[in-house]
Amino acid sequence: MEEKKIENDGKDIVLDVRDLRINIEMDEGTLTAVRGVNFSIKKGETLGLVGESGCGKSLTSKAILGINEKKCKTTGQIVFDTDGRGMVDLLSLSPKGKEIRQVRGKQISMVFQEPMVAFSPLYTIGNQINECTRLHITKDRKKSREISLEMMKKVGIANAEKRYDQYPHEFSGGMLQRALIAMALVCNPKLLIADEPTTALDVTIQAQILELMKELQKDLNMAILFITHDLGTVAAMCDRVAVMYLGKIVEIAPVKDIYAAPAHPYTQGLIGSVHKIGTKKEERLFSIEGTVPLALNLPPGCGFYERCGKRIEGVCNVKEPELTELSDGHAVACHLCGGCQGCAFGANSGEEAKKDAE
Amino acid sequence: MFIPTILIISFVVFFIMQLPKGDYVSSYIARMQAEGEVFTQEDIAALRAQYGLDKNWVMRYFDWVFKIITKGDFGYSFAYGRPVWSVIMDRLGITIAVSLTIMAFTYLVSIPIGIYSALHQYSPGDYIFTAIGFLGMATPNFLLAIILMYLSFTWTGDPLLGLFSNEMLQEGIHLYNFGEFLQRMIIPTIVIGTAGTCGVIRTVRAQMLDELSRQYALTARAKGVSEATIVYKYCLRAALNPVASGLAGSLSSIFSGSTISAIVMNLSIQGPVLYEALKTQDTYLAGTILMTQAVLVVIGTLLSDILLAWLDPRIRFERKRS
Repeated sequence: MEEKKIENDGKDIVLDVRDLRINIEMDEGTLTAVRGVNFSIKKGETLGLVGESGCGKSLTSKAILGINEKKCKTTGQIVFDTDGRGMVDLLSLSPKGKEIRQVRGKQISMVFQEPMVAFSPLYTIGNQINECTRLHITKDRKKSREISLEMMKKVGIANAEKRYDQYPHEFSGGMLQRALIAMALVCNPKLLIADEPTTALDVTIQAQILELMKELQKDLNMAILFITHDLGTVAAMCDRVAVMYLGKIVEIAPVKDIYAAPAHPYTQGLIGSVHKIGTKKEERLFSIEGTVPLALNLPPGCGFYERCGKRIEGVCNVKEPELTELSDGHAVACHLCGGCQGCAFGANSGEEAKKDAE
Repeated sequence: MFIPTILIISFVVFFIMQLPKGDYVSSYIARMQAEGEVFTQEDIAALRAQYGLDKNWVMRYFDWVFKIITKGDFGYSFAYGRPVWSVIMDRLGITIAVSLTIMAFTYLVSIPIGIYSALHQYSPGDYIFTAIGFLGMATPNFLLAIILMYLSFTWTGDPLLGLFSNEMLQEGIHLYNFGEFLQRMIIPTIVIGTAGTCGVIRTVRAQMLDELSRQYALTARAKGVSEATIVYKYCLRAALNPVASGLAGSLSSIFSGSTISAIVMNLSIQGPVLYEALKTQDTYLAGTILMTQAVLVVIGTLLSDILLAWLDPRIRFERKRS
């Protein structure tokens, strides 16, 4: 496949995802799982990708590496600043070809949700980490073993020499996640995709792992795409946050703005449903009504329409809102908030939107 | 575990052997009487005493086992008029050779097909192999044997009956006629082998599909590992687990499944001898054959356990602990 060269606009952008769409062919029809996602990540930055299960965040992250299943038809552009070859659209590379395999694991790597199943039970941890080193850094057995061991020590695996020759079932969950991070970082990637890396772990271990990731990020100056549904970890980890709903980014903002002035009703709902210290027992947690609709034969209009407490009939179910910038770096896709800068969901903005729709 | 297992098997075998009414003498007399011979009670009793059948079966069992252990004497075959061991040795080597060939054929054919089917799920190739596999499983072996012998006869003028040609029987197997022997192995191998092939194909296919969709395959892919390495280093090794544990089972099903085919194809393996021995209630012969097969299956189980432990470190780990 011919690869497309794209000019770097000099902003230190590592990854630029443009109009990413993923359709899944099923017996019942085509499921539009990701519907035009745009975002970019700068060097050393952490972008949080937040959303409920099934909103397409994992598919998006796997699409970057080209490791989705065959039935996922992906279009758009995923522009990555590759080593030595400049900006390359990863989607234009063959998913089984050599070029993409040199990107995977070496320049972009991934930490998965469940460390217990992310390793093959049949090979030692050392073997599996070392496989990465030998593929991308050196074929020299002794050297690659040293590099792997060093990374294992760096992520805080005590007694690394002994651990190297142990099998996954001899590791605890937290240790396995450390090993998984070691495997992801052993080749000093530019971008780390962390797909809910702490969901399967104890709270105390969670904090350790997050702290570890932050430290290593500083050391290696890498960008992180942090995927989670936990807004608490987002606050701790990220510089910017993108909120996904039904295959679209509905709000993207610097992390402070998201908590201080969430603009999209869905984001407001997410933040409202987090436990806060000081709430009384009797007070009920806010919950967003309903569930995410199946992205099969979607009706026109906003994807959140059915569940939104602030919906405007005749507007929200007619026209799909575009992502509009509110302030610097803060953009939202909602009729209520689009275009009215500084005003948080005022009533007249709805009227304006109604006129627009007409 | 090995020795107690064998002892229990030998006891069960002997117990079942004496369950049907009558013994070798009564079936022998029945045949003789049909030919017009006359026997008195004394004759019969003398025959029984001669064969040692006048004692009760428990006594005979201990007698038998005692002689096996002390003298390596497996008793006397009534029908062949020779020690059981020499009757068995005639065919033991060839039986093992044939069985192993069939097993090798089964796995060499079915594992690659299983992998192919899993990697190309729902492709025409997958459907064709599935259809052929099921056909092979559903067709009785002896029918397939007859069909293949017919085809062989119409094409080459030789139905390839038996494992040896007349010349080979006279001269024994040498290097120069080994090729012909292999040629004669083809039909039996296909006939008996196809029965197990389908099952293994289905197992490998299902296991491979399962393993390919596991998280660790995705992790490996995300590391930049090539598809071939994912398939062969990671998935295949995990997928072979149930195949390895089924190894001993397939050995015993080859033993028992081959009897009728062996009679149809006139193969000089142990199946037909066992069949005759059971029919004539030739207790010691039948018992010893069943025993040797049981021993071979136990050895097979041992081998498959070793193979399993080699394939899967988790099994080794449990062993070490206990």
